[in-house]
Amino acid sequence: MTIPTYMGLNTALSGLEAAQAAIDTTGQNIANADTPGYSRQRVNMTERSELTIPALSSYTGDGSQFGTGVDITSITRIRDTFLDSQYRAQNTTENGENTSSTILSQVQAGLAEPSTTGLSHGLDQFFADWSTLAAHPGDAGAQQAVMGDGANVADQLNTLAGQLNTLESQVTSQYNTLTDPTNGAVANDANQIAQLNTQIAQAQAAGIDANALEDQRDNVIDDLSQYSSVNVTTQSNGMVNVSFGNAAIAAGNGTADSTPLVNGGSVDLTDNLTDTNLSGAGGTLGSLLSLHDATTGTGQIDTYMTTLNSVASQLVSTVNGAISGADASGPTATPFFDPTGTTAATIAVNPSLSANSTTPPYTTSEANAVASLSGGAAQQTYNAFVTQVGSDVQSAQNSQQTAQSLLTAIGNQRQSVSGVSLDEEMTNLIQFQQAYQASARVMSTINDTIGTLLNMVSSG
Amino acid sequence: MIGRITNQMASQMTLAGIEGALDRLDTTQEELSTGKSINQPSDNPSGTALVLQLNTDLSNLTNYSNQVTDGTGWAQAQSSALTDITNATQRIQELTTEAANGTQTAADMQASAQEVNQLIDQIKQDANTQYNGQYVFSGSATSTAPYQSGSNDTYGGNSGTVTRTIGPNTSLTVSANLEGVLGNGQSSGDGQLLDTLRTIAGDMQSGNSSGLNSDLSSLTTNLNSLTGLSANVGAVQDRLQMASSRIQTLQLSDNQVLSNTQDADMASTEISFSTQQAALQAALQAGANIVQQSLMNFLGSGSG
Repeated sequence: MTIPTYMGLNTALSGLEAAQAAIDTTGQNIANADTPGYSRQRVNMTERSELTIPALSSYTGDGSQFGTGVDITSITRIRDTFLDSQYRAQNTTENGENTSSTILSQVQAGLAEPSTTGLSHGLDQFFADWSTLAAHPGDAGAQQAVMGDGANVADQLNTLAGQLNTLESQVTSQYNTLTDPTNGAVANDANQIAQLNTQIAQAQAAGIDANALEDQRDNVIDDLSQYSSVNVTTQSNGMVNVSFGNAAIAAGNGTADSTPLVNGGSVDLTDNLTDTNLSGAGGTLGSLLSLHDATTGTGQIDTYMTTLNSVASQLVSTVNGAISGADASGPTATPFFDPTGTTAATIAVNPSLSANSTTPPYTTSEANAVASLSGGAAQQTYNAFVTQVGSDVQSAQNSQQTAQSLLTAIGNQRQSVSGVSLDEEMTNLIQFQQAYQASARVMSTINDTIGTLLNMVSSG
Repeated sequence: MIGRITNQMASQMTLAGIEGALDRLDTTQEELSTGKSINQPSDNPSGTALVLQLNTDLSNLTNYSNQVTDGTGWAQAQSSALTDITNATQRIQELTTEAANGTQTAADMQASAQEVNQLIDQIKQDANTQYNGQYVFSGSATSTAPYQSGSNDTYGGNSGTVTRTIGPNTSLTVSANLEGVLGNGQSSGDGQLLDTLRTIAGDMQSGNSSGLNSDLSSLTTNLNSLTGLSANVGAVQDRLQMASSRIQTLQLSDNQVLSNTQDADMASTEISFSTQQAALQAALQAGANIVQQSLMNFLGSGSG
């Protein structure tokens, strides 16, 4: 047996093609060096199966195997799915803490403490006025000051209650917008994943690498993970099932999810976008529910409201109580605060007071009794409330910072695996260029040898 | 730990470094510009609670201090009125002693009686002393004058007390019972100062020197109770003085704790600021140099 004359040409051709594919892929990587979510691609090459030539040696009679070049088996993404799931878990945490710290910071900003504009200073001022009134009973200026600063305290409590109410409705509307079944962010992401699933399955069935589609799908799942916990399970046809919320956490612990949010090409919103599934599952949605759950009327902001209401009711009962207590012997004075308004939203200076402000409404002993409430129950409750809000904001901010650094670290690890390094691509480019040139040189050498043979034949 | 460093990572890490440096600088700058280390409760929740508590304490101390100042003015007004009354009474004592000698002419006695009546008016005016628009000798009826001018010597105030709160659960009675010394005049026959003085004036007019002699002894008794009242007012002034210095000490220590809690330590904040500024500049410079470098800088255009 002899070696086929043109076999070498084909071998060199496969080398040229492989080098070209590698150069093209390098070009693709360089072009997408800054594309978010892009995973660098690699040309997977294998040796072509050898050509066996039996009894090549006339001396031993042994045959040999001749290489026939290189095969491009596939172009695949370089990606670590384990890092993906870690990244998404951190993304869920980070977004949850971020939501909490943003909303709680607004509560904190509304308090304006410690400053001379906050309620704490207003209460100090209010009790100081009573002390002045006690020293100057019947003084019109002192009475006006008590009325004015009393109204100011009531106003501040009303405003704080209003701010908390506004935040509650903001939280609810944000939650409703995100979970809207037609246009909500979760629904959009889920639908996109389902669509991409279908396209990827089709491509895979046709034997095509769907790298770009898979990158897109991973991007969408990353996006989805900011709202709540996600758990991704890959199927053999290239599709993924995505569990959401508490079901995802359960799935991560090995409990199968019978109603995943994305099941291949279909989306199940009704089973997943429920308060039960999302509450406590982290992410923006979990945080919003823990701040204020409109269905049950509970949450962190509601707790704040309760505390603020007890500040108001304590203020009303202690001030009015001090006044009526001081008049045990004399005629009953008008309660200073409207006895019907005992919540932060409804507390008000008794309207019957402002009507007849010309007569001195309170005696020295009544004023002294109110002044001695300074630093009492209402102020202590309020101070504790401010401290509570402050430490809640602080812990949310700290957790958010921790989650963010972890997210950055995992993001970097993911980039380290999947990201494009231009230096590396340049090195590859030189390597593949040289491989191409070498294959071309082989081809021209074979051409020369065949030419020599043909010349020999024609001259003979 | 991280094997490959990609271009996106390099720029993201540079950016994260710069952002972190800016963030720290921002916090320090806020501390520097406000001069406070607690600008919102989350900066230091327990410190905030302390700051709010101290502010309330300081506000209370200011109230006490105001009441002490007010009480001091009140007691001073009382004290100077009582001094005037004492002087007038002593002058009447002299006149009475002279008249009781029996050496004066009827005309001299008339003149003395006139002076005594004028002094009685002055005493009543002194009793009507006001501080800050309030009558200081009317009991708790501070808007009513204790005595009318003219012949009616009935006390118009009440027996209530006026107190000033000068500390937590500490109140001080600043009203003085002048009624107990001046009495309700001749018609009541209570033997108090005004009654005695009117009797003296009457005895002078009628030239009753033996009556004047017995009047002198009741006047001495009246003067003694007047001195006693002045001593009481003096004791109130002493207590107010002590309360004032105690409040000042408390204010000073509260202010120190408050400053330690909420004020930024300027020296160390300034140093942090400079350090962070240097760190930011270094991060910016490193970013400017590192991100620009790549293998392409060192490859010829037609490499290979």
